Amino acid sequence: MSYFGEVDLGSSFQPFTTCREQFGFVPKLFRAQTLLPRLIEAEGALISAILFTDKALARIQKECILLVLAAAQANDYCFSLHYQTLKLLGITEQRLDRIVADYPRADLSPTTAALLTLVLNLGTKQAIQEASSQGLSDESIFEAILTAGLSRFLCTLAADIGAVPDFAVRATLSEQSTIMRDANPGGPFLQAPELPEDYAPFVFLGEQFGTVPKVFHAQGLRPDVLEAQVYAIRSLLLPEDALSRAQKHDILRDGADLEELRGRGFTEAQLLEAVVTASFAGFFDILQTGLGTESHFVAKKGSKKVHLSPPEPRHTAATLSIDPDADTVARVQKGDLDAFEELMIRHNQRVYRTLVSILGNPDDARDAMQDTFLKAFQHMGGFEGRSKFSTWLVSIATNTGIQRLRERRPMESLDESGPDDEGFRPRQIQAWTDDPEQLYSQAEMRSLIENGVMKLPVKYRMVLMLRDIEQLPIEEAASALGLGIPAIKARLLRGRLMLREALAPHFIPSERKGNAQGVTN
Amino acid sequence: MAEIGNYLEGDVAEDVRHQLEHHLSHCQTCTVLVDSSRKTLKIVTDTGSFDLPEATFKPIAERIMARIRSGEIK
Repeated sequence: MSYFGEVDLGSSFQPFTTCREQFGFVPKLFRAQTLLPRLIEAEGALISAILFTDKALARIQKECILLVLAAAQANDYCFSLHYQTLKLLGITEQRLDRIVADYPRADLSPTTAALLTLVLNLGTKQAIQEASSQGLSDESIFEAILTAGLSRFLCTLAADIGAVPDFAVRATLSEQSTIMRDANPGGPFLQAPELPEDYAPFVFLGEQFGTVPKVFHAQGLRPDVLEAQVYAIRSLLLPEDALSRAQKHDILRDGADLEELRGRGFTEAQLLEAVVTASFAGFFDILQTGLGTESHFVAKKGSKKVHLSPPEPRHTAATLSIDPDADTVARVQKGDLDAFEELMIRHNQRVYRTLVSILGNPDDARDAMQDTFLKAFQHMGGFEGRSKFSTWLVSIATNTGIQRLRERRPMESLDESGPDDEGFRPRQIQAWTDDPEQLYSQAEMRSLIENGVMKLPVKYRMVLMLRDIEQLPIEEAASALGLGIPAIKARLLRGRLMLREALAPHFIPSERKGNAQGVTN
Repeated sequence: MAEIGNYLEGDVAEDVRHQLEHHLSHCQTCTVLVDSSRKTLKIVTDTGSFDLPEATFKPIAERIMARIRSGEIK
């Protein structure tokens, strides 16, 4: 049926109930993903918002778009699915065959014909203008682009999963894509209402990608669909039970070579998640192209099918390197309490620095250490080694610290920009002395740095502490803080520049100091 | 700006590195910014800030282990 095994999720699994209501059955495409039900839920949210919710376009129009685009992508699986669905919606086979063979002469309504012309010619402003001149509203055009994105998503998924069609395919399909991709599209092509910067989905996207990719700003016409996309991204990216977050970001940004992943011993669940992640990249790639926004996501065309060997022991690329704590962790899990003490001694500095960076003072940090280690001990049984133990421990410290901070200052958000950092620009632009470390004693230098770090906004302080002071690899710091790699890089750069600014007055040679601006004490 | 961050991490493509270094060869402001950022990074990594003294950690560890060994925490 497909390259992936099927697990029984019971009769009440909501996405399957929705499938039965909407298609009359559960397509094999989704049954092939039962290893990771959260992925089916993520896809279900997206499909429901775009396909099952009638706004500007009717379901039948969207199914026509999906049928014609499946044919253009030579995707047997999706072609048969949408063909069958349109039959259930009352379109005869004879008429469907005419639509696929030659839609301009298939007696379609001018609106539906204009929609099909649009989705087959995405990528230019001219395509949008022509659709407008045919009487399509901006809302209809946007929904057509969303449906085209959904088509790319489903076709990529079906091809890479290797799903066998649910129904016999009546037509011989050949690929005929006319999508134009411009490196500098100059969009967005559609005017959309602006959503505020503090709109919760934007805050989440900013955390994950460093900045909010332009393709999301261009979707103000349908905030419900934008929210479904963000729900899907959250369900896809945050759990690390298969691939790590860093690996999924890499796939969204650079595509995935599935053969290579298979060669590196990735498990079925990991390969499945790679396929789904690449399919989401395809969805966003079509949206970027159709809306003319800057390219952020990359879809690899013609990606290879995954041919799976039997399941292998679970590991990810990030954890292929040996965890130096693995043996000690195993001893704790067998009941050796001394081994837990060894882990505490090994990692107390890291936990302390994490907590002090969040809480901003040593007393609170020392107090929170006890909570952190006790929580870690209580959950040792559930630690499966998918990340390094040290990364896992830092993430517990982070959560403990943030929880305490929220109790202390419930109004403070870790995510929003403060007044002191929103307009931050480097002001100290005078050269530093050649060897600043010779100017002060070790203790003085430590004091300068600790004062400088403590004055940073907490979101920059946390990242700088883990990456520069604790010297965690960037992937581990991202994983521990629950951030994407681009987001952590952006915060790290800002934190370093702010710290540089605070230290500068101490390291500019004295004859130049008189001209220094913005001196901090 | 993001590329300067990657440059400080030694994580830029060869062509971007060339472009940045060409820019730095004639832009005094960016040269100061990169040089002082690099020095900041070196000072921060060399200094060993925010150390928790062993004598401070010891009683904390003892309290934690006492609670674990008593069976209060499982």
